Amino acid sequence: MADFDPHAMAEEEFLEEVHSFDFWFQAVDGYLRDRSYGQVEGTPDPLMEDGEREVLITTLCNYCVAETAALDASSGLVRLAPNRHAKIFLATQVVDEARHLEVFLHRMKELGVVDPEGEIERRANPNLLRFKKRLLELVDDRDWDSAVFAQNVILETMEFTAFKAHLEGADPVTGEVLDGVIKDERRHLGFGENDLGRRLVTMPENRSRLAEVRAELDELVLRTFEEVQQSAGVEPSQRLTLGREYIEAVERLGLT
Amino acid sequence: MNDQSEASDEPEPSRKRYELEETGFNEVPKKWRKFYRIWEGALDTLAPNEILCPVCKVVIRSVKEIRVGDRLYCMPCMSRLLVVEAEDGTLTTDVLY
Repeated sequence: MADFDPHAMAEEEFLEEVHSFDFWFQAVDGYLRDRSYGQVEGTPDPLMEDGEREVLITTLCNYCVAETAALDASSGLVRLAPNRHAKIFLATQVVDEARHLEVFLHRMKELGVVDPEGEIERRANPNLLRFKKRLLELVDDRDWDSAVFAQNVILETMEFTAFKAHLEGADPVTGEVLDGVIKDERRHLGFGENDLGRRLVTMPENRSRLAEVRAELDELVLRTFEEVQQSAGVEPSQRLTLGREYIEAVERLGLT
Repeated sequence: MNDQSEASDEPEPSRKRYELEETGFNEVPKKWRKFYRIWEGALDTLAPNEILCPVCKVVIRSVKEIRVGDRLYCMPCMSRLLVVEAEDGTLTTDVLY
């Protein structure tokens, strides 16, 4: 087993491995193989009461807004990537985000939504739409650090914790879809924190700019997911975790 | 394991070794999977060769008992970690950027 001990790898070897398309392909094969739209064939999907169904559709609409924001932003960031590792990793994130959008749209159709795009327009949280607009402006401004912070630290950490909380009480099919998405999000939030962390070691002067971005944007996302979770009936004790994991990440980066 | 305290790859005699088995963790390529497992929450008891990744909350496993100064990799979230002693005497990790 010594030949395959990851902790024995040299640092550059580790970074090369985890940012590679090959690593991504073999990782997602582990949990998406034989699943269609993130679901295992034959999983029971009992009829929901109207109220429960409506809450889930609104939640999925907002997930779609967040995933579309990440899809648009990560595809733009591929061109801005400062090195090959980041460029290849972001290409895998583009594929992940497209898949997330697709599985959530598919789930909405299964719930009887005839026009998912129209439903998203009607139900999207205004704070989340503002966040999306600002994130894409950062990408258009070619502001790599700020865009990665907004997308891979703020948005991905919030999604990661929100999806985990939702998974606790989700119906079986939505739970399977969320489970696969959460596994992808682990890579995305880890990339953001570690990429920014490495850059801040050599460019500590960028910290003040990121603190400004944080002050502007994190409240929008916190408020969005607080509202979405509240409407989904997530217990207040679980909602506290949502903010805590995000705050831990920004503290590690020294952005408090 | 990258271990600052060791001059060679040989473990110290007193450090217990572990034979790792698959845990059902499936978020990294197959050859790396036994080095990680899903964290079961606050009541999850970690073995002496396990430590929690502070970034993505996956349990990282080693073939050796984990000690202060060890460097470990969390492949699911790409983090490089240094094992340190917490104020309460337990082992924890700092993220190395």
